[in-house]
Parts: sequence; structure tokens; C-alpha cells
Amino acid sequence: MATMPIARPETPNAKRQHSNSRLANPYVYLIPAMLIMSVMTYYPMAYGLWMSFTDYALKNLRIDSPPPNFVGLQNFIDIATGALTIPNFDFAYTVAFNLFWTFSNVTVHVIIGVLIAVLLNARGLWFRGVYRAIFVLPIVIPTLVVANVWRNMFDPDFGAINQGLAALGGLIGMPASAFHIRWIESLDPPIPFLPLPLAYFALLITNVWLGWPFMTIVATGALQSIPRDYYEAASMDGASPTQQFFGITVPLLRPAMVPAIVYGITLTFNLFNLIYFVSGGGPLRQTEILVTTAFRLVNQERLYGIAAAFAVYTAIILLVITLITNRVSRATESYDA
Amino acid sequence: MKRITILVLVAAILLIAACGPTSTPAATQAPAAGGTVSGAITIWNGYHSGDNEEKALNQLLDGAKKQFPDAKITVLEVPFEQLFAKFETEAGSGGGPDMFIAPNDSLGTEVRGNLLAPLDDMLKGKLDSFSKLSIEGVTVGGKIYAVPMIPKALAMYYNKTTVTAAPKTTDELLAAVKSGKKVGVPNSAYHTFGWWRAFGGSLMDASGKCVADTNGTADAFTYVLSLKTAGAQIRADGDLDTLYRAGNLDIYFNGPWVLGGNEDALGKDKVGVAPMPKGPKGDAGPLTGIDGWYVNANSKNKGGAVALALYLASKDAQTVYANVAGDPAARTDVTPSNANVKAFADAANAGFARPQTAEFGNFWTPFGDAATKIFEGKSTPADAIKSACDAMNKANKK
Repeated sequence: MATMPIARPETPNAKRQHSNSRLANPYVYLIPAMLIMSVMTYYPMAYGLWMSFTDYALKNLRIDSPPPNFVGLQNFIDIATGALTIPNFDFAYTVAFNLFWTFSNVTVHVIIGVLIAVLLNARGLWFRGVYRAIFVLPIVIPTLVVANVWRNMFDPDFGAINQGLAALGGLIGMPASAFHIRWIESLDPPIPFLPLPLAYFALLITNVWLGWPFMTIVATGALQSIPRDYYEAASMDGASPTQQFFGITVPLLRPAMVPAIVYGITLTFNLFNLIYFVSGGGPLRQTEILVTTAFRLVNQERLYGIAAAFAVYTAIILLVITLITNRVSRATESYDA
Repeated sequence: MKRITILVLVAAILLIAACGPTSTPAATQAPAAGGTVSGAITIWNGYHSGDNEEKALNQLLDGAKKQFPDAKITVLEVPFEQLFAKFETEAGSGGGPDMFIAPNDSLGTEVRGNLLAPLDDMLKGKLDSFSKLSIEGVTVGGKIYAVPMIPKALAMYYNKTTVTAAPKTTDELLAAVKSGKKVGVPNSAYHTFGWWRAFGGSLMDASGKCVADTNGTADAFTYVLSLKTAGAQIRADGDLDTLYRAGNLDIYFNGPWVLGGNEDALGKDKVGVAPMPKGPKGDAGPLTGIDGWYVNANSKNKGGAVALALYLASKDAQTVYANVAGDPAARTDVTPSNANVKAFADAANAGFARPQTAEFGNFWTPFGDAATKIFEGKSTPADAIKSACDAMNKANKK
């Protein structure tokens, strides 16, 4: 006769031990990651924060050198008031340019990306797969390569852009000299009421080429999840294609596009490679963003303490942007399709 | 639970071990400076791959490896624009090469950061054949920090097929532009500095205060602007190199570092070199920099590094540099076979020795911006120089 094993009831002590170990287990698993994060991320961040309150410079770099002097908020004040060793340094302008750069780029990325996604989504379009494969190329090419190629393309004498424009101008009898455009060097703002050099537009062109495919990919995925019935019903109710786009497509794209926009904003705000390698922040630092300025403070000026304070400012600005965009994102989370 | 704890401890130990300091292999024996080279020596250089300076160095190092089989010489090429930052960062954290060759651009800064080894004791009696200017160029606070190699300053390149006699004065140069000669003038702070002295300009007084707004500096820029108005090209030096090499410039200004490239492209017989033209107030004064072999303060093999530096700065070695790379020699007993190299040596000796003071570090940005504003027509020379001087003095708290 088979006997069933009888489960003995756990004593209170055993119960407590069991629940304690269950509670402790996740933390044990987290310890290796936390150790690595502490060494690789949190310690450098804390060290950087400490540096921002000191006059840390090259003289303090050696391990056996004396510690830097504590200067309190002086670095932050010097940055805000422009009392740095960098002439023409204007913190307010750099922040304003950085924000304008970010939002102008992302706006263009989204508009072009969505429009092309809608076109690719059209019924009966031939070679749809080929287009999608070609359009994804800018994403897979390293930014550094893209930046260097575009920098060469903007060369006033030998660049493909001026040569292409000259060839087109030649068709209507315009001389090639009319297209000797100094994209990166020119100080004259092409739009009189907008105090931005031509280099900004060169950067914008480059980054639009680089950025719209991502938005297209996101929008394409979202478009394919919109049931055709909605459009058919709207057609039967007499809605025009434009009304359908703004009444159906745009609202149903929002849940997918908002996170992509948030990602795009963060990425563009800190887009070091493109700025540094295409315009170098020039002319006269008019296209510098916060991260390229911080890099120069370290790499050229060796003002480590000031650069750390600059990084703290950058982190605060990004935190504010993130909080705002999170709020916008949360607003869309409750969207009921 | 125990296993997990052990795993965590092992991971932590491995992590700490990975983050630990790496040790530099010490020399097997420290050779006497100028004598036998031995031990492990790491060299950094900022040469461009395949250029003539790299060829000269490689040729000499091949000889050194044969002559000193006990030495383990490792060479790393660092992009020139990253060389100083990379060295300062690595040396600051206890690493870096044993020695590196570079101009004295960052010498003062690196000495004040205690990153370079003073070499006076090891070089005693070994620099007798070197020019006074070259030794001064590697000296800060009375101490020598490098074995001098190459004095470098700006001079005037001309195309011998289109220019029969190089302009000797600024008036002659302006007349040449007006007569249709294609002239290029580089627009950077470094390149434009050479014109200052010819018009009575100077940068700082004895206390390090910028005084360029009180002398002929603005006149020098006004003159360069007049060249532009007459048809000269004011552009980046790299662009002008390209134009000259393609035969599209008759006259332009640059240093000996492009001599090899210019001669290879245009033809040795067509490249002429002459001093920058004299101005109304005297000779031009291009900044003279000194390339030298610097020894890292962290080096475990300073003796070996200095011995190798002296080998690479010997009479024969500097002759190789002069004839292969077109570099003027810091030594006075080297006679280059190329007249253009001799012309550059003369230009360097007549130039304005690059200051190594902390104040001079704040020259580049304000005066680079001033040149940009002047040549882009955004500011008059007087206003641009005034604001550059103000910015420099503000930064230097003068």
C-alpha cells in the first residue's frame, strides 16, 4: 500500500527564515551589477560633482600632486557670468543654441519621417522593401564616418554640394563662382532675422539626413497597426484624405512617436560627433553645444574643475527636459485607442 | 545562498584586480645618458603616417635597434592634434610613454603640471653642439626639459618657375599681388603672428600683460587685409598647401613640416624658400618653436630614454632628419644638402622664440578669433586686436 508523504507544517522560525531569504535573494543578485555600476558610473559621477566645486587643473592631475582648492560655487558663477578664459564665451547663447538645435532637428526629423512612412505605407507601392532597406542606411553608418563625409562635401572648393549646385546653376547659365558657398566658415547669417551662421544649416542638413530614417521606421511600424476599417469608415462618412490623416493617422501614431521623439531629443541634445567633426563648433563657437564646450574645457583648456561644473549644468538642463518629456509621455500613456 | 555569496566575492575580487594599477617594466639596467641604450623604451610621435618625418625616424630607429640589441623600443603614432592631451592625461594618471617628440607648444603647461622630467644632470656637457635658441626653447625656469631636435618657424614658399626673385619687403609682396601673382596667406593666430614684428607689433610686456593693442599689431593685420583686397587668398594653411602643390599659387607662407610634401608634389627644382618679407618696422618675427625629445616624469627608464634621445639627436641623425624630412637641425654642426632646409633654419634662428609662460597660453583663442573677425570683415583690425587683448588680459587677470 502506497503511503502519501505528509507535509509537515513549517515552524514560525523556518517560515521567517524562508521569507527573509526570499526577500534577500533579489538584492544578492543585484550586488554584482551594483558593484560594477558603483565603480564604472556612480564613483565617477560623485568624483565629477566634487571636482565641480574645486579649481582642479593640470597641476592636480598627477596622483602624487597636492589636492585642488575648494572654490565653492565659483566655477558655476564663472560659467554663468562668462568669466572664463574663453573669449566670446556666452553660456546663455550656448544653452539657447543647444535647445534650438535640438528641437529644430527633431521637428524636421519627425515631419519628414512621418511623411515618408505614410508614402511607404501607400497601397500598391512597388519596391517598398527596397526603399525601406535604402532608407535605413544612414542609421547603420557610424556617425563619425557620416560627419567626415559631409564635412568634405561642404568644402567650398572641392565639395560635392557646391559642385552639384554649380552644375545645376550651369543649366540656367549661372557662373560656378556664384556657388562658392563657404558653408562652415561664413559668419554672415543667411536669414537676416535669425542670428545663426550658415554652419548651423550645414549641420541641420547633415543631421536631417542622419535622423529621419529612425522616425520613418517607428512611424511605419505604428502605421501598419492601424486597422484599414477606420479609413474605410471615415471615407464612407465623407472625410477627405487630409481629414483622415489628421483625424486618424496622427492620433494613432502618437503613442509610438512620443517615446521616439523623447529619444531623439536626448540624442540630438548631446550630438557631439556631428558638431565636433562637421563644424568644430565654429565659426567663432557659434555652433557649439554644451557637450562640445565641456570637451574643449578639458581637452584644450585643461580646466577640469570648470568642465565638471559645466557637466553638472548640462545634467540639470537634461533633467529638466527629461521631466518635461516624461510628463508629455505619461499624458499619452492613458491614450485610449 | 553560500554559493551566491562566494560568486559575488569572486566577482568583486576580479573587478578590483582589473582596476588595479599596471606596472611599467623597469629597465634591466639604467644606461649612462648618451651611452648605451637599454631597457624598455616607449616612444610617441605625432607624425603623419607615411610622411617624411616618419620615414626619417623609422630609418634612425632601425639603426638604433641594430646598434642596441638590448633595448626594446616600442613606437606609437598618436594623431598630432591629440598628442598633448593624450600625454597629459596619461602622464597625469601615472602612465604615458617614456619619451615623445613634439614642438614646445605645451612645454610650459606640462612643466607646471610636473609631467616632464628635468634633464639638466643627464645632459651636462652633451648639448655643446646645439644652438642657443634651441636650448632656450626647451628650457623653463632655468631647467632643460628636452633634447632639442628641430627649430621650426614660418617662411615664404614660392614657385621658382613663376617667381624669379622672391619679394624681400612687404611693399614688394603687395606689388607682386597687384601685378597678378597668386599669393596665399594663412589666417590662423599662429600664422599671422609672423607679420606683427614687421609693423612694430608685439604681444606682451615683461609682466605678461597683452600690449598688442598699443603698438603696430593692428597695422600688420591692415597690411594683410590690403593683400586680400589686392587679390591674395587668406585661407587655412591646409587649403593653401593644396593650391601650391597643384601649381595654383606663386607665393604662400608655411613651415618646414610641409617642405617634403611640397617638393614631392611640385618638384624639388620648383620649390623656393625665403624669409618672410621685411616690413616698415623691421624683420618679420614668426614664432619659433622647438621640436624636442621630452622624457616623461613617470618613466622608469629615464637614462635609457635620454640615451636614445641623444642618439636620435646626434649629428648623423639630425643630418638624416634634414635630408629626408627637410627639417632644420637644432645642432650647429649639421649642413643640410637642401638649400630650402637651410633657408628654414635661418628663418627659425631669426624668429621670435615662443614664450613658455602661462600667460601665453591665453593668446591662441582671442587672437584666432580676432583674425577670423578681421578677415571675414566683421571687425576692424584695431577693434579686433583691442577686444582680443582685453580677453587675454581678463583671462590672465592682468
